[in-house]
Amino acid sequence: MNLNPAHFFIPRHSNGHKAKILHSTSIFFIVLTLLSVQIAVNFAAKKGLVLGFAANISPSEVIRLTNLKRQENGLSPLVENKTLDQAALAKGTDMINKGYWAHVSPDGIQPWKFFGDFGYDYRYAGENLARDFSDPASAVDAWMASSSHRENMLSSKYREIGIGVVDGKLAGVDTTIIVQFFGTKMADTIPVQPVAKAEPTVAPIVGQVKAATPLPTVNPTVLPTATPAVAATSPQLQVSPFNITRSISLGVISVLIIALVVDTFVIEKKRLVRAGGRAYAHFAFLGMILAILIIAKVGQIL
Amino acid sequence: MTKSFERAIKHLPHIASLYGVFLITAVIFVLFSFNKAVQVSALAAAASAYVTWGVVHHLIHDDLTIAVIIEYLAFALLGFVIGVTLLLR
Repeated sequence: MNLNPAHFFIPRHSNGHKAKILHSTSIFFIVLTLLSVQIAVNFAAKKGLVLGFAANISPSEVIRLTNLKRQENGLSPLVENKTLDQAALAKGTDMINKGYWAHVSPDGIQPWKFFGDFGYDYRYAGENLARDFSDPASAVDAWMASSSHRENMLSSKYREIGIGVVDGKLAGVDTTIIVQFFGTKMADTIPVQPVAKAEPTVAPIVGQVKAATPLPTVNPTVLPTATPAVAATSPQLQVSPFNITRSISLGVISVLIIALVVDTFVIEKKRLVRAGGRAYAHFAFLGMILAILIIAKVGQIL
Repeated sequence: MTKSFERAIKHLPHIASLYGVFLITAVIFVLFSFNKAVQVSALAAAASAYVTWGVVHHLIHDDLTIAVIIEYLAFALLGFVIGVTLLLR
């Protein structure tokens, strides 16, 4: 086996006048290697050797960044409410336990039920959801990029905020959910209209919802377990599987693009005529994949 | 004029169509930043279009061989695997 680097990158007699790394067999080998690496990364993630998505998600940082956006838009900052934190955490735990990614659970439970379960008697309430973000800033930026979520974040109706960050599996995939609850207590407002407006059916545009169950009793069995909170604040994890995958992929694509450029340059210089695929087509395709790697965002919002 | 430039002019309609497909795919990725299903579908469509383009292009230029088809398939598979492992992890 020829291990000379020139054999892999420069068209010459030893590689049939085509950089060895651009041969179809080499490309298939790279595909198999990438799949193997992916399996290894997933295995390592399951064993806790690399970061789960939640490791860098600090609820207080989500609140700080949310308030920063509000202040940038001339709004007063929201005050963290521990009851809302608990309600948000309970919502996130419910999603993990029941395996759903939605504002309304499969058994029809609305987000507002969690407000009531923890005794938060609200006049206005709202919910934003995010999953799989590697850091709070990405999640907040994603919400701000969506008009309906942005409306929640920049609503002057809300006075308080609660954040729940929960680690777990959804459809068998490791994930981290961020639940962002907004609220204004009934007691903090002077009701202009004594009749409550109808409960919205489309989340996350939520507003002016009257609490259906204003019971102040907190049911301890609904309280989230310590597991999500511990996972959310674990300091030992540094790199997310998504970033590992992206870095490796960026490296592979970059090397192949460089090899294509060198290969084309040498072939042109030597004035060789060679049968095979068009270099400019491969170059464009790899360029598109490179762009996708840069554009791709790991998270989802709802 | 260099030979490569002459070739580029000759293949211009083909190049434009191929680059157009890739540009549209990239735009879809931006517009549907948080919709994985749309992104994976767009990637699959782009990879398929790339292989189809290669076959048609080489057929028109009368230099289509099994090796050429395999070459396009290899690059398409690489791109698809990279995209999917990133999007669906």
